[in-house]
Amino acid sequence: MMEALLEPKMLMTIALMGTIVYITYLTKRNATASDFFVGGRSFGWFTNGSAIGGDYLSAATFLGIAGLTFQLGYDGAYYAFCFSIGLTLLAIFVAGPLRRFGAFTVADFLAYRFHSKRARLVAVAVVLAISGFYAAPQLLGAAQILSMFFGTSYEFGIIFTCVVMIFYVGIGGMKGTTINQALELWIRLGAFIVMLVAAVYSGLHYDKILAAINSFSGPITGTSPYALDGNDVNFDGAAWTGTGFYFPTFWQTISMTIGLALGTIGLPHILLRFYTNPSAKAARKSALMAIGIASTFFLLAVYLGVVGRSIFISGTASEEVMRDLVLGGNNMVIPTTALALGGKWLLGLVIAGAFAAIFSNLSGLFITSSGALAHDLYANIMKKDITQKQRVIAGKVAIVLLGILYGALGLLVKDASIGHLVALAFTVAASTFTPIFILGIWWRGMTEKGAIAGLLIGLGVSMWMIFLPGTLPSFLQFKIPGIVTVPVGFLSVIIVSLLDRKVPADVNEFMKRVHSKESETV
Amino acid sequence: MAEVGSHDYEYVEAGTIDVKDLPPLDAATNKIMKDEFTTGLSLSVFYFILIFSIPVMNWFAPAFAFKKIWGGITVTWFVTTVVMMAMAFIIAYVHTAMYEKRLKKYDIANK
Repeated sequence: MMEALLEPKMLMTIALMGTIVYITYLTKRNATASDFFVGGRSFGWFTNGSAIGGDYLSAATFLGIAGLTFQLGYDGAYYAFCFSIGLTLLAIFVAGPLRRFGAFTVADFLAYRFHSKRARLVAVAVVLAISGFYAAPQLLGAAQILSMFFGTSYEFGIIFTCVVMIFYVGIGGMKGTTINQALELWIRLGAFIVMLVAAVYSGLHYDKILAAINSFSGPITGTSPYALDGNDVNFDGAAWTGTGFYFPTFWQTISMTIGLALGTIGLPHILLRFYTNPSAKAARKSALMAIGIASTFFLLAVYLGVVGRSIFISGTASEEVMRDLVLGGNNMVIPTTALALGGKWLLGLVIAGAFAAIFSNLSGLFITSSGALAHDLYANIMKKDITQKQRVIAGKVAIVLLGILYGALGLLVKDASIGHLVALAFTVAASTFTPIFILGIWWRGMTEKGAIAGLLIGLGVSMWMIFLPGTLPSFLQFKIPGIVTVPVGFLSVIIVSLLDRKVPADVNEFMKRVHSKESETV
Repeated sequence: MAEVGSHDYEYVEAGTIDVKDLPPLDAATNKIMKDEFTTGLSLSVFYFILIFSIPVMNWFAPAFAFKKIWGGITVTWFVTTVVMMAMAFIIAYVHTAMYEKRLKKYDIANK
């Protein structure tokens, strides 16, 4: 028992949990809804930039990108490139105006822009759909790590993570969440930097290992004991380093680029972060900082995925590493590579980093969705006259309900790829909220009906193309269907608005509020 | 109009107006929006040309795209995983710098 507790992976995970508990305890005082949902709008650009980075760089980045690169080669690295685009577009078109607008939730934007309860209700449904899509793979990552490195069952991993999140977000609210997210980001970045140093120290230079992978072709020695068919796993390095390994056509690649590049603008948990800045100027600086951190992270994640593949084909790794790389699937490449590079201590640090990534992102999703349920649905639609304290309690109850909902979703995605599932969440966001925010901020002609139509059609078409591709003709079957769903989302808003023509009478006031310099520090 | 920002949002009834009857925006807001949108659009167009040039290069000029430039690193691997990561930051940095420059200009004009 004592020996197990002194294992580096256990020590570092306990240290992370202890820090989370301490920060949550320090920030437990949430007297008003503003404290609970947007942290009293008190976070400067550094803390908020770190928290945005923490929110954005989820398990999909920490575990998923390296895993996709390990599995798909160049096409996997292309995911990282597409994920890197979105925050920049968000900083350009949305960050400043969104902070000037203020409020608490993403649905507030629609409700305020159109004075519409219907728009708020539809927005709540879309927030929950996107957050569910995003939360399931995070839980999958947590459960796989617990299962692989701590020997727990997948189901236990899901329940344990949900319980931690309910405590973490339910007590700390946005204040605790933001400080934890900021801290967790640096833990993850630290883990990646230590892995980078260990890889370079081991002589795994980028140019050399890519050359070695490129020239490799044939069975990988040492994989047969763990392969399902009992034979060594075959690998073609030239195909792996080229394009077309996963996305077989030019249009499949373009479709993914569109879906992922525009998805960030529509991610509710990222949008919400801009409400927590004290000013629009701080919001832009936060975005800039988050972009710098995210780009560094993506670059490192791709490199570490290549390192993992290089170790896998080298035939020199330990049996434990080979077993974990074959059986762990692509989601466990980072922990296994850490074990190969730096032994138990580096594995411990990486496991703490992975939990940090998962907790950080899940907390953002929990707080966003709790805002949608407690603030948008309960306080603004179902029961209007409630006190600040009741709002905070409603937020906490919503977090418990979300824990149950996300837990159920996590159980359904046991064998999925984290990176790909998150990519699908990006596509839904790009087809729903992205048109709403871009057009809502920059086009006075957008109407309530246009917004609602855009959300419903964008959501419906994305779900159809993701879940029922077999019902579509082959030329419309895309792995990431952004090339169809994003234009459909934009066009629905534009066409319905042009036909409807009834814009809110105070739209000029709204535009003045979100764009004028006077509202800079509102 | 309901106050937002640091306050809670309150639902208020507000009428609608036919878009053709909508009065023009005040000159100051109009100028800010125009400046902001023009800058954002120009940078985005430039950025998207770079973004889409990568799949175009991969699929229509593979000999160039997959030419090795340093060990096993090909042109496209380097551009996709290194150059474009830096480009995401550079574009956002230029946008923020231009925005702050405009803010200063408005401050001087107001004074």
